[in-house]
Amino acid sequence: MTDATANAAVPMGRKARRSLLEPIVLGVALALIVLFSTTIPGFASLGNLSVILSNSTSLVILACGMAVVVISRGLDLSQIAAMVAGATTFSTLINAGLPAAAALALAVLAMALIGFVNGWLIAFVEIPAMLATLATAMFMTGLFRFGVLRGDYLLILPKSNPAVVFFKSDLLPGLTAPVALMIVALVVTGLVLRFSTTGRIIYGMGDNFQAARLSGLPVRNTIVFVYVYSALAALLAGLVIASASGTVDFRIVTNGSLLFEVILVVVLGGIPLRGGRGGVRNLLVGAALIAVLRNGMTLYDFSTQTQDMLKGVILMAAIFVDNYLNPRDAETDTAGDL
Amino acid sequence: MSAQFEFAAAPKARTPYFVVSPRRVLSEILSKGWVESTVPFVAFLCVIFGVGLTSHGYFTIDNLRNLALYGSDGGLVVLALFVVVAAGGIDLSVGSNFAMSAFAALYCFHVLNLPVPIVLAASLASGAAVGVVNGALAGLAGCGALLTTLGTMITVRGVYTLASQGQLVAISSSARTDEVWDWIGSERVLGVPVNFWALILVAVAVLVMFRQSRFGWHVLAVGGNRKAARHGGIRVKATIFLAYTLGGVIVGLAGFLYAARENAVASDTGVGMEFFALTALVVGLGGFVPGRGSTVAVLIGFATIYILNNALLNAGLRGDFVQLAMGAILIVILSIDTKFRKHKHRLLASTYVDPVAFEVDAVAGAKGLLPGEIAAKLAGADILAAGLIDGPEDVILDADDHLFCGTRDGRLVRIAAPGYDEVETFAQIGGRPLGLALDREGRILVCVAGMGLVRVDRQRQVELLTDQTQRSLFTIQDDTTIRMADDLDVAPDGTIYFSDATKRYDIESWGLDLLEGRPNGRLLSWDPKTRKTRTVCDNLVFPNGVCLTHDGRHLLVASTWTCSLLIFDLADMRAGPRVFVHGLPGYPDNVNRASDGGYWIALAGMRNPVTDLAMRFPGVRRRMTRAVAPTHWLFGNLNIGGVLKIDAAGRVVDAYWDEPGGPLYMITSMREHKGALYLGGVTNNKIGRIRLAAADPSWTGPASYWGKAER
Repeated sequence: MTDATANAAVPMGRKARRSLLEPIVLGVALALIVLFSTTIPGFASLGNLSVILSNSTSLVILACGMAVVVISRGLDLSQIAAMVAGATTFSTLINAGLPAAAALALAVLAMALIGFVNGWLIAFVEIPAMLATLATAMFMTGLFRFGVLRGDYLLILPKSNPAVVFFKSDLLPGLTAPVALMIVALVVTGLVLRFSTTGRIIYGMGDNFQAARLSGLPVRNTIVFVYVYSALAALLAGLVIASASGTVDFRIVTNGSLLFEVILVVVLGGIPLRGGRGGVRNLLVGAALIAVLRNGMTLYDFSTQTQDMLKGVILMAAIFVDNYLNPRDAETDTAGDL
Repeated sequence: MSAQFEFAAAPKARTPYFVVSPRRVLSEILSKGWVESTVPFVAFLCVIFGVGLTSHGYFTIDNLRNLALYGSDGGLVVLALFVVVAAGGIDLSVGSNFAMSAFAALYCFHVLNLPVPIVLAASLASGAAVGVVNGALAGLAGCGALLTTLGTMITVRGVYTLASQGQLVAISSSARTDEVWDWIGSERVLGVPVNFWALILVAVAVLVMFRQSRFGWHVLAVGGNRKAARHGGIRVKATIFLAYTLGGVIVGLAGFLYAARENAVASDTGVGMEFFALTALVVGLGGFVPGRGSTVAVLIGFATIYILNNALLNAGLRGDFVQLAMGAILIVILSIDTKFRKHKHRLLASTYVDPVAFEVDAVAGAKGLLPGEIAAKLAGADILAAGLIDGPEDVILDADDHLFCGTRDGRLVRIAAPGYDEVETFAQIGGRPLGLALDREGRILVCVAGMGLVRVDRQRQVELLTDQTQRSLFTIQDDTTIRMADDLDVAPDGTIYFSDATKRYDIESWGLDLLEGRPNGRLLSWDPKTRKTRTVCDNLVFPNGVCLTHDGRHLLVASTWTCSLLIFDLADMRAGPRVFVHGLPGYPDNVNRASDGGYWIALAGMRNPVTDLAMRFPGVRRRMTRAVAPTHWLFGNLNIGGVLKIDAAGRVVDAYWDEPGGPLYMITSMREHKGALYLGGVTNNKIGRIRLAAADPSWTGPASYWGKAER
């Protein structure tokens, strides 16, 4: 009895309830790789591989944050808004002449505050996560465009700034800073989820929130932690994106497609939206599919709209399959459980 | 017995005309259903006043017409989202769907040159198609609504951009005009834009749907509690599917109206509309509340947000500030709403019990008869029907010696003479039957807590005589319903007098009424000739037992918490009660006639000095109900009680006490019948009987009331 409970409590050690979506998606990704390699010349080259890798860094970093939130049975719809806000804070500060380290420290503080507000609204005010983050996303975007950008959509970064240069540079031959940051994010996320007490609480909350709360775990603080973590991941991704493109563009918040891809990565990898299961490996699988798909579609010269459309269809299919493989308990779900 | 009672000489009992208490006003307002709807209304008034004060000439006819013209499609989208949210879902795809429907209309009108009705049909179909996809995934397949509609939002936006890019030139260069199209787009009927009429029509349709139609009720049931709806036999998945589809159709109509008005679409048409609609909805409903169908509140929320939005833009503020403001409003309203909803019942609970300082007369007139001073005579009572009944609050014996009592599970049972050991269900009433009486025809009248006054005839037919009285003046809470009918008696003219012990508590929480110590009860009458119920005397302190005096001219009413018996003059009920007996040693329950011209009073429990003292300090009692577990509350002594015998003048002449160890507990009623006293108790599972040595062995209750020759 005690052995059984102990096993059940180990999120990584489960066998029977492993996500079926993960092998399916992995199979699809491999099939796509084979398909693209045979039909697109140059797809299977080392150069293209590094393009795929560097193009998906920000996505993976964002997905790290989102995965932690989703495993705790939350959802952070304000992540892209936080990403842009973080990049804006950092860029504005270095534009104002602050040293990069100070700017970074302030940006981290600002993002931690944003994550804290999200977490506080969800954990202490008890607004449902989706609505709270939807509202903060609106508020944040409005605030930064009004207060910082004075109505503009775009913020130009000074390309010569050493901080900006750093985020684009090669740390080692073949290892660019964004890729290194991505690896760091993955490793940290893996460590937090797998080995830290907080990680255990996150799995516990996702598995059965009421049980976690009633057994005395600090669920409220953990919720705050989770959203702060997500906001910091967003900041990191924002820095990578902004440095790569030299601009901070608020339109990626409004068109919603990046948020969508992040959720896609998480869901496709086999982290159920009900939470409680999954880990970094699932993230990698989901990201692999999306990155390959994105790269292939771009090489096929599909327009952005077509890509969005296809990804939308894939997401809906994934949600459908996820729902089929991890069905809700019809007796316990209530209205408002969106 | 020689003692006589002078009615005119007795002191008057004070009954207030009305009770004023701020705490009670607050708690009663809080328990009203409309409290939550005040949030959007107040917000609306704030916005109207704010805008009216800050911008000159905003509320002119022309500007209002303009607002109506440009606002209608937004209003329709809000209604569409409202329908979906009412079913417990959410639809983020409304903006994309709106753009797509508008494009479908323009494409059909300008490129395909179709007649306007077909254009309308195409728009509606386009909207419905998205609704069907949403409904199929979120409803039928049971996927998460938010992500599903996020998926359709992106997908439809992609389709829309692809499709519209190819056709924008063809649409904008089209020279087609059409009377109907332009009429829809910009004309007015009775001074109101056609657009706005469409909004009004849809709003009325939605209102009627949620109020009157089976589908509307199903939607609200599903939104309110999916599990309960399923258990109630509602086809949950189909209902959600239809709600999404209906939402899609309404969005389609909005897109059509937009197309007819603007004759153009742009890449950002409908972008951010879902946030606008969601904000309006949250403001209107005072939070994100599935399962609520208050259409008017939603329209008020829409008007608030629309006018605010419009006025902010008019005032020269940019879209980003408006977005900021909307986000802030959303957060504030969601926060207030979640907190209010969560704590409302606590606030209600902590304000509902409303104690008042209350002085009980000192124990008087029972010297030498108190427990301990004489033997506990009920300890030796015969036990009848032990374990066969549950909670005989009152007992009564008919002319054939059969015993009747009510039980906790809502039955009236008959225990047949002479053995009194077989229990049969005489009638299934429901509620909690309490006091009993026999009328002239031998029918049994029952006071049923939670129901009202019920009559059971000899053929065992149950008839509900009344469950309401007039509403009293100056109350916020509707007190027409009889909440705790307790005991009754029948006057010689057939009028039934019965007590409604408390208007504020149900029978399970009668104890709180003692802690409150307020005059919450009333004496009612039911006239068999007119079949009308009347409040005879309002604001009595827990009126309990009711008994007609032997001469048939007065009515005794036990006032439990004041430990006294009141007396009414049947000839002049308006004059109010006088005090018949005061300073009883316990809490009087039912009162019944004795064979010697006196009366029996059941004492359910005994007073104790601590409770009497606590009654003088309302703050102590209020804090106690909030901070102390109910099992530890100060309360009267319910471990001991019994029966008092008083003479016709109200002097205590004898007492029959029970013992803490039983076998009887908490005596609430007793009937004398042929030289024996039958005892019932609201928490007992048996009936007690003791022989009365000095009593008239032929005396029966029915004969005392209606004469021996009857029947």
